[in-house]
Amino acid sequence: MADTTIHIKEQESKYAKSARAFRDNVTRDLANEELRSNFRGAMDYLMDKRKAAFCEQDELETLRTQCKLIKQRCLAKLPYLLEQLEENLIQNGIKVHWAETTTQANEIIAQLIATKNGKTVVKGKSMVSEETALNDYLEERDIECLESDMGEYIVQLAKEHPSHIIMPAIHQNKQQVAKLFADNIEGFSYSTDVDTLIGQGRAILRDKFCHADVGLSGVNFAVAETGTLCLVENEGNGRMCTTVPDLHIAITGIEKVVEFLADVPPLLSLLTRSATGQAISTYFNMITSPRKKGEKDGPKEVHLVLLDNGRSQAFADEELRQTLQCIRCGACMNHCPVYTRIGGHAYGTVYPGPIGKIISPHMLGLEATSNLPTASSLCGACGEVCPVKIPIPKILLRLRKESVKPKSEHPLVMKGQGAGRNNVEALVWKVWALVHKSPFIYNLSMWSLTRFRFLMPKKLGPWTSVRIAPTPAAKTLHEKLKTRKSQHKLKRG
Amino acid sequence: MTSENIGLESTALENIKQANVMSKSARSNILAKLKSEVAGADYDKLPEEIAFSYPELTRDEQVEQFCQQLEANHALIIKVSEIDIASVLVEQLKQRNIDSLLYGENCPFSLNIKSIEDSVDLTAYNFSIDANKEALFNDYPAAISSSRCAISATGSIVLWPDENEPRTLSLVPPVHFVIVDANNLYPDFSTLIKAQQWQNELPTNVVFISGPSKTADIQQTLAYGAHGPKELIVLLLNS
Repeated sequence: MADTTIHIKEQESKYAKSARAFRDNVTRDLANEELRSNFRGAMDYLMDKRKAAFCEQDELETLRTQCKLIKQRCLAKLPYLLEQLEENLIQNGIKVHWAETTTQANEIIAQLIATKNGKTVVKGKSMVSEETALNDYLEERDIECLESDMGEYIVQLAKEHPSHIIMPAIHQNKQQVAKLFADNIEGFSYSTDVDTLIGQGRAILRDKFCHADVGLSGVNFAVAETGTLCLVENEGNGRMCTTVPDLHIAITGIEKVVEFLADVPPLLSLLTRSATGQAISTYFNMITSPRKKGEKDGPKEVHLVLLDNGRSQAFADEELRQTLQCIRCGACMNHCPVYTRIGGHAYGTVYPGPIGKIISPHMLGLEATSNLPTASSLCGACGEVCPVKIPIPKILLRLRKESVKPKSEHPLVMKGQGAGRNNVEALVWKVWALVHKSPFIYNLSMWSLTRFRFLMPKKLGPWTSVRIAPTPAAKTLHEKLKTRKSQHKLKRG
Repeated sequence: MTSENIGLESTALENIKQANVMSKSARSNILAKLKSEVAGADYDKLPEEIAFSYPELTRDEQVEQFCQQLEANHALIIKVSEIDIASVLVEQLKQRNIDSLLYGENCPFSLNIKSIEDSVDLTAYNFSIDANKEALFNDYPAAISSSRCAISATGSIVLWPDENEPRTLSLVPPVHFVIVDANNLYPDFSTLIKAQQWQNELPTNVVFISGPSKTADIQQTLAYGAHGPKELIVLLLNS
């Protein structure tokens, strides 16, 4: 960027640090019984809701295939659709900004707010703004940034991060929320009645909507054909943020663009049903321009920030590109046995669960995330429920491979390639391959392993911290079968 | 500030100019990267996308499905004929101890609505929101709007807000009455887009409403009236 005078300081994402602590996070959260029961309850609920929403297997499969192909078509044309989207948005009066990194996105947003001398921002739910850690960035610049989705509001009040992309406060039960409100909201007396809790949130947040300078939102689908931003929500906070303040800034990843308006209905149907089992969300909001002359409300300016942050890296590889088909329904985490047990915070990343394991390495690099793809039993549930048929288990295997490849091997597919490589492990597998390629060495090594089995050590590092060391059998399977065959012959003879 | 070179004296406008330069270079980098990956792609050879064909419903079945879906989402549906709109409104407001109503001045049913001005304090939304936010958020317990059409498969009411019926009319007041004509019912979203050729022209904002505002963000427990209307009352014209 030699031609600009803005020199923003690129900092390592705070999520890189927490993702590196993955193993410790897991140990911590597995031991938290309350947390585990909160997740178990929530995941059972969400799985049942989804199941009830797809009673016809035929319909589900047809829709999944259709939506997979829609997303693949839109990705195949991605650069051209982004240009078309930009052209149409500009024509509609919506300004478009581009950011390669999270810091660039934050800086653009901070500057847009500064032009209006904005001091308060209300936010609709936006995972991309979590990705950029926008709240931290703006607060450092003395701009109040308030989350208005009820779950996000709770999480922000608790100084935490969302533990689920659809239900951000799913790790807390109502007793915990009641205590949080009582401790942090003046005049609120402890109550576990959910209507009372929501009523309290409503009262505070409506006042904020009324007075905020800026509304910030995410985008579920950006329609290239018409230059329209679509938002899916139940609460109405998204509509508030995008209607009441004078300035609306939307932020989204470059993969959210769809070609035609007609692409939206099937995707929307799969999104809400896969996420929460709803036929449709309470509100589906389509924004095509700022306030026009004569209109009495709506923002006077609308801006869209398009963020790359590693997405173009995933795009460059045919297999990994499928990661970008994701419509952020959260079904993969709801059905993941690992997510259900360790919860959303243990991952340390913005996007947890199976989709988080395959998208985060592109955002944070494999240096910080090489452990994530290994935290899977490869049971396949995520791939089976994915509404756009992302082969998540296959991509997990691929990422494991990328993370143990020699650092210098070409082509370089990912940032941090080889970060998970361990020379001892690499040597072990080399020897293993050698042994299995030659019958002579194989037989010899099996013979020695069984005959010298008493030499097997009792401690095998981390493996034996929770297990007993395996003992090789006294005879190989081949030998046993040979004996059995000869006994059989003897009997018959 | 993170920017080293920005003097304190430089204006926000200059900063935004620089942010625009940054955005421009990000734009060309991103597009160049993406384009180099799709160079030579043949878009005529993309696989065919097959949509699911849903069974066709009769008009009565559609109306029934529409009501079922909406009621499952906690909306109140009252079947009315046009001449009853006024009396039903008065009665429903009375039941809730509400004595005022916000409405759109030149909306299709404004005559019906205006006819209740003796019993209800009517306010036309004929002012700009800019100087009236406080009043809008605090002074109007209920509002009524018309609708453009509706979708039976999902029980959705489609609003095209305009200068007569602004976007916040159906959002800010805690009780939202909406008039839906069953003659404008479409089986699903896809059919609606095609029938009305939406891709040719979309207004500032289109919103689908499929129930009162709700949330299940606290321990999966449904609560109504999260930020928008707590109650959605549908006056369904079915002739």
